[in-house]
Amino acid sequence: MKRRDFMLAAGTAAGALMLPRMSFGAEGVIDVYFTSDQNVIDFWTNVVKPKFEAANAGITLNLVDGGDGPGVAAIGDRAMAALASGSDPQADLFEGFDTRVTVDGIAKGLYVDFETAGLSNYSKVNPLAFDIPTNLPYRGSQVLLAYDTTKLAPADVPKTWADLVAWIKANPGQFIYNRPNKGGSGGNFVRRAIYEANGQDPAKFTVDNYTAEAGETMLNPAWDILMDLAPSLFDGGAYTSGNTQSLQLLGQSAVTMIPAWSDQALSAIDQGVLPETTGLVQLQDLGLPGGFTKLAVLSNGTNKDAALKLADFLLTEEIQSAVLTELGGFPGVSWDYISADLREKFADLIPQTIPNFPGGDWEKAINEGWYRAVAPNVDPAS
Amino acid sequence: MTIADAGQPVLAAPERRRPIGLLLVAVPVLLVIWLIIWPIISAIIQTLWMRLPEGGETFSLETYRFFFSDGYSLSNLSITLWTTGVCAILLLVVCLPIALYLRFSDSKVAAYVQGLAIFPMFVPSIILSFAFIRVLGPNGTVDLLLNAMSLPKIRSPYLTPWGPVIGLVWDNIPLTVLILLSGLGNVSNQAIEAARDVGAGRFALLWHIILPRISNSILVAISFAVLGIFSAFTLPYVLGPAAPEMMGPFMQRTFRELYEPRTAITQAVITFGFCIVFGLFYVRSVAKNRTP
Repeated sequence: MKRRDFMLAAGTAAGALMLPRMSFGAEGVIDVYFTSDQNVIDFWTNVVKPKFEAANAGITLNLVDGGDGPGVAAIGDRAMAALASGSDPQADLFEGFDTRVTVDGIAKGLYVDFETAGLSNYSKVNPLAFDIPTNLPYRGSQVLLAYDTTKLAPADVPKTWADLVAWIKANPGQFIYNRPNKGGSGGNFVRRAIYEANGQDPAKFTVDNYTAEAGETMLNPAWDILMDLAPSLFDGGAYTSGNTQSLQLLGQSAVTMIPAWSDQALSAIDQGVLPETTGLVQLQDLGLPGGFTKLAVLSNGTNKDAALKLADFLLTEEIQSAVLTELGGFPGVSWDYISADLREKFADLIPQTIPNFPGGDWEKAINEGWYRAVAPNVDPAS
Repeated sequence: MTIADAGQPVLAAPERRRPIGLLLVAVPVLLVIWLIIWPIISAIIQTLWMRLPEGGETFSLETYRFFFSDGYSLSNLSITLWTTGVCAILLLVVCLPIALYLRFSDSKVAAYVQGLAIFPMFVPSIILSFAFIRVLGPNGTVDLLLNAMSLPKIRSPYLTPWGPVIGLVWDNIPLTVLILLSGLGNVSNQAIEAARDVGAGRFALLWHIILPRISNSILVAISFAVLGIFSAFTLPYVLGPAAPEMMGPFMQRTFRELYEPRTAITQAVITFGFCIVFGLFYVRSVAKNRTP
């Protein structure tokens, strides 16, 4: 009988494992899917969830790590299928998601249009951060330069792009940035080089002004700048495959300086992944770009109203201040809606403008162009 | 291979039982057709028929023409072939001695060696990748040890084509050792002793007695390793250089970041074309074993 017992137990266990997949989105439990890294999910677990649940009795948050963009995009595709069949998408809110990714998602009304959703705090959102009405920016992050103060004195740190280039060339092998499509720290370093090649003017790039000719004339000079840097980079032109790997190389003291996300660098120092002797600096002529992280709310989710309430809650001063103090990011609302003492405290560290490079066709052109022109590390003419 | 032994079922009345047997295999066969064969056919169709802007469809080899005339795509294909080839050779060089040792050793140490050889099977490749950076990366454990002995640092394979090679070889050791070991099970001790009696040396034993009997297993082991390595993603992506990239990361990037599904599917079909050659090797060797 032992064997039969075992089979029974195994069957029950397998059935139990499958249960959550079969369950429906429960009333009063907001299913939030994340594309962001662990430090952001920790922030939600420790700050957003307890505060929101305390303020809204009967509503709880279910925080799910979607892995990465494609992971949550798959949930979006599932919600799209659920919309067509009128069933439950088992998801309510996506964090760090661009609604354009779901094919036909916006056209078919899968995502809530925040302009007409009636959020009381919507008017506070930083005008620089707006993208399209189905994407709600709620926090920002900027790429900084993280460096090893034991090898480079804070007084000698480059403060302009020209100084940075001079420093990289004077210290070959001490700088590395990651591939622009794999984590934004390298991506925004590349975008800073693109600004440099175009007169340091972020206004030249908008979400809808990409054409093949514009891409050629505006991006090719930037590839020349980056090609010129390549021999002086770590290993004569190597590129890490993600934000974390760059941090690891800085932590192993293999390089002296890397571009890094402000929030990720701060939590890495906090957790001891990076030593306390790590310094952070921003270029003063034009900062390395950053970006705003957006939310999407599904229009067919079981808890759509509660999810909108949560979205509104995220824009309150309480959470927006916590984004600054707890997460090390930037607020998604205008600085006027942050308490005066915090505004003063961070005034030196954070410039008033965050260059925000548009996504869409530009992003595609940059990813493709960099891989073809810069990454092979050989002169295409030779 | 053991699969071959199951090929002759002891059936009393084959005529009567045959429909049941066919029914039993129907489910897996249908699944294979539905989940593997059909997607392949639909992928090939998708890359060959191009939708015209004014509606309607036309036959076109354009994406293939682009792939084979594009230096960047071709260098990605050639690095994939290079990595696969080097990995296959290294795997044989590393695994054959281990398998021979495990087959012919009676010592207790052999059990530990076997445990150690199987161990990589239980390590997820993403963990392996980061461990690799810690150990073989710049200023990693190896460098620290060398430094402690006042020796110069190694030239780290991290972010060079050798990074994925080392990772993939390590990752594929268990399967290769297991397949070779099962093949060595076919080599009888009597045959070896008989050869020894007539004065065969160690090398002659290996060349004339052992290798001919396990050539099939070697082929199967290499086919399996090649199939896995050719489309590997995590290790080449984390440990390899930005360019040229192996086909796995290249396909993923084309599909997810360049939003060019048709080009990505073309790359997949070309990858599949190379893999099918090794798949056929495997199928042929199994079929050869089954015919009495």
